Amino acid sequence: MHMLRRDKKEEEEGGGNPFNNLDKTTVLQEARLFNETPINPRKCGMILTKLLYMINQGDQTIGSTEATEAFFAMTKLFQSKDPTLRRLMYMGIKDMSKIANDVIIVTSSLMKDMTGRDDQFRGPAIRALCSITDTTMLQSIERYMKQAIVDKCHAVASAALVSSLHLSKTSMDITKRWVNEAQEAVSSDNIMVQYHALGLLHHLRKHDKLAVTKLVSRFSKHSLKSPYAYCLLIRIASKLIEDEDTGTESQMYDFIESCLRHKSEIVIYEAAHAMINMKGVTAKELAPAVSVLQLFCSSPKPTLRFAAVRTLNRVAMKHPAAVTACNLDLENLITDSNRSIATLAITTLLKTGSESSVDRLMKQISSFMSEISDEFKIVVVQAIQSLCLKYPRKHGVMMNFLSSMLREEGGFEYKKAIVDSIITIIEDNSEAKEAGLAHLCEFIEDCEHTVLATRILHLLGREGPRTPTPSKYIRFIYNRVILENAAVRAAAVTAMAKFGAHCDELLDSCVVLLERCELDSDDEVRDRATFYVRVLKERQKALNSAYILNGLQVSVVGLERALHHYTLEPSDKPFDMKTVPLATQPITEQRTTPGKEPGDISTSKPSDKLASSRQDVYAEQLSAIPEFANLGPLFKSSSIPVELTESETEYVVRCIKHTYSRYMVFQFDCTNTLNDQVLEKVTVAMESSDGFDVMKYIPCASLPYDTPGTAYTLVRLPEDDPTNVTGTFSCTLKFIVKDCDPNTGEADDEGYDDEYVLEDVDVVVGDHVQKVMKPNFGASWDEVGPDNELEDTFALSTMKTLEDAVKNIIQYLGLQPCERSDKVPEGKSSHTLYLAGVFRGGHDALVRSKLAMTDSGVTMQLTVRSTDPNVSDVLVSAIG
Amino acid sequence: MGFLSRLASLFGFKKNEANILVVGLDNSGKSTILNFLKQGDKNVPVDTVPTIGLNVEKMKAANIEITAFDMSGQGRYRPLWEQYYKECQGIIFVVDSSDKLRVVVARDELERMMKHPDLERRNVPVLFFANKMDKRDAVSSVKVSTLMGLNEVIHNKNWHIVASNAINGDGIDEGITWLADVMKSNMATKK
Repeated sequence: MHMLRRDKKEEEEGGGNPFNNLDKTTVLQEARLFNETPINPRKCGMILTKLLYMINQGDQTIGSTEATEAFFAMTKLFQSKDPTLRRLMYMGIKDMSKIANDVIIVTSSLMKDMTGRDDQFRGPAIRALCSITDTTMLQSIERYMKQAIVDKCHAVASAALVSSLHLSKTSMDITKRWVNEAQEAVSSDNIMVQYHALGLLHHLRKHDKLAVTKLVSRFSKHSLKSPYAYCLLIRIASKLIEDEDTGTESQMYDFIESCLRHKSEIVIYEAAHAMINMKGVTAKELAPAVSVLQLFCSSPKPTLRFAAVRTLNRVAMKHPAAVTACNLDLENLITDSNRSIATLAITTLLKTGSESSVDRLMKQISSFMSEISDEFKIVVVQAIQSLCLKYPRKHGVMMNFLSSMLREEGGFEYKKAIVDSIITIIEDNSEAKEAGLAHLCEFIEDCEHTVLATRILHLLGREGPRTPTPSKYIRFIYNRVILENAAVRAAAVTAMAKFGAHCDELLDSCVVLLERCELDSDDEVRDRATFYVRVLKERQKALNSAYILNGLQVSVVGLERALHHYTLEPSDKPFDMKTVPLATQPITEQRTTPGKEPGDISTSKPSDKLASSRQDVYAEQLSAIPEFANLGPLFKSSSIPVELTESETEYVVRCIKHTYSRYMVFQFDCTNTLNDQVLEKVTVAMESSDGFDVMKYIPCASLPYDTPGTAYTLVRLPEDDPTNVTGTFSCTLKFIVKDCDPNTGEADDEGYDDEYVLEDVDVVVGDHVQKVMKPNFGASWDEVGPDNELEDTFALSTMKTLEDAVKNIIQYLGLQPCERSDKVPEGKSSHTLYLAGVFRGGHDALVRSKLAMTDSGVTMQLTVRSTDPNVSDVLVSAIG
Repeated sequence: MGFLSRLASLFGFKKNEANILVVGLDNSGKSTILNFLKQGDKNVPVDTVPTIGLNVEKMKAANIEITAFDMSGQGRYRPLWEQYYKECQGIIFVVDSSDKLRVVVARDELERMMKHPDLERRNVPVLFFANKMDKRDAVSSVKVSTLMGLNEVIHNKNWHIVASNAINGDGIDEGITWLADVMKSNMATKK
């Protein structure tokens, strides 16, 4: 009884899959049944199915001996004429051909089936035969393959054509000889055979561009019957256009355009799709394709509607104007019963919509927002975000809409997308800031996601104090301290401290509130509150700026390593924060720029993260070299390697500069592109007249063909004059050449010295400066003070616009633009750029550069503040 | 399987069925012999190509249902013969009587086969066809038997040698009838 009940339970759980709990050994045991005479087709079929299921499921791998045994047992089934068993057997042969040995044994049997009278066995036999054949065996079946390609039976011809396509991967030489048969098959009256034959024909001639061109022009004239073949032809043609870059001029284009008038929908769509994806196509040329898609929009078939609206969506990214013609049809699709179609229609409309239609669209969207799933809601949110960046004046409507969406039910991903959008809009449009912050404040009043709440509190701490009425945010922040969990409370404490540090009139109130938090139950919250209260009570701007407004700017990995190092070698000296490498790219930098599609943003994020850890990788590599171990901490590594050779020369050399407090290490990544040479003892000799001394060369012992190697050169920076930081080095690659056999790579014993002149390496001011993001530039400016202030005025006559000037100044100085001052508002004739960084040796460097447009170019007033007088000197002299 | 035969098998009248292995050197005429057997009287000569791997043929001869595994005789496929030793009830070994040079090779293969663990202790009848009797330089079946050393090589099995010509079918029916009879009596004793 107990057993019975369990069986029943298992049955329910298994969902009726009889192959769920197959055991490999049992199935292989059962496969011996194939050897019995007479054959029982029903039982054998079942076992074969189990075997196939196991092979394809792949969680129990069958060894080659076991597989071979089962395979040979299976060959005995050839005596059965049962159609089901036969077909299973063909599949079995195909699947086991890769794991069993001696599969060639069934060749003759399959050849017999392939030429036999029973049509339903012939196709599968061909496919199975081709999967067990290798190049040497192929010649013996070639005659039969040729016959099969032109066979009267469509299934047989298709099977032979597709198999030939697979075979050509390994034995192109033989399959090439079947071109004539394939030609003949193209004129078949069966649509599938025609399609497969065209595919094979194209594949065989793929590498001969002229032949492909001929192929297309020939078949585009005499009309093919099969719509699939037409689609393939369109794809081949558009590939040709892309490769040759002929654009709309070529005959191919005319052919594709003519396909827009084909009677089959699939061909029409394929042609429209091809035209839209063509490079450099203009809106005018798109018009016919778009109008075809417009017709599809009102088709009764959902697939067609979906395809059309999806393609239109793609068009809208590049040519929104071209799609406006379809706006009416797209609006009808908003109410489509298929939600995927409706969402795509809306996002397309949002992309194409003009400023005036935004209000109406928003109303329409809100009517069905509650009916669609979170994923689609996110798509809509992203569309609204890009729309908002496009029409900044409409931010009011969209903000309201986004905030009402925030209030509705939804998952974390959805809420996160909305918060992200609002933050992006706030950062991009200062007019929207107040409204946005208000909406976010309202949101955190009832927010269950800790991550979002902390993020918003951080934003409030940064942006809130600089609004006209900062006091109104305090209430929202303090509410968090009373109501939320520890992580949110800690974030709220930090945000509150920032208000206190920035706004003098709120200082006393903030201190009172923070003192209350010192009684919190959580350690972190108490610690933070105590720390902030002490700092605030000092009432010193410099302290506020260093410890509250602009936090720690070091790389976390670097800090961890430095501290670990410090604990390993205890010394009397206190730990020096300046030895810790700085965070190269602050994470706050990751913001969206207008005009970019959401897809672009996601691709740029990983690279940012990579950059921040790149320097740590270098530091580790360099410290592993004993000669460099005592240079001190690595201050900066140049981000983009400088090419010292033309591309595609004998040797390729790239240079990366590593700056230490008193030295520089030049890392040369060399590649040898000559396969008949091995280079040994590769060094890069450097000469300079600017007071730089070359201390040491670390050669790359051996540089075989196509294997990158690295040589280093250590240079001491001039010490007598601290303002002398720039210079030019002439570089020569020196090495011993040994000729070698290109095939084996074995080198001769004898070699000779040789050298190769490289391009010069420049050391610029930027190499000595590390970018640091100061979220609150004004506070830092006051913190450094005017002691080492230098000021100068320059006329930048070569710069034509303010944007150019800003870009160049950032590049020369290698500093981090703060407060988004790298973006010049449109239509203004003056701008102020704030730059921050740390100079080699750990000296803070701040630059304020006031730019003004004049008739003769850009005039700049540069003010530098630094903790070291020499640094100010260097920075001012860098521009000039 | 027809209704009647299914009924018959239900009542235990098992129809006489047997697996036969057809082996021999390449180009000795195995596939041609089977072709003749399959087509019977209405013999249409067909082009025979060298077998790769194996062919499975079903036929009825001398009142017995025969499944013949026609193995390829080419050197590199001979090791695969042994995969089929276990399930066969009879063996046909075809020798090209006109190829005196390679009879020694055939003898080697036969010896190896007889020593195989799957065959050594079983009483499987072996039928030899001294084939290609139509060729001018063909030797007699007795001579083939001595050249192959059949008396020395085969100890515990029934064997028989028949001179044959697969093109016109001489001797083939005689051989098959012998083989079928021996197999039938073997089956009877087993039961």
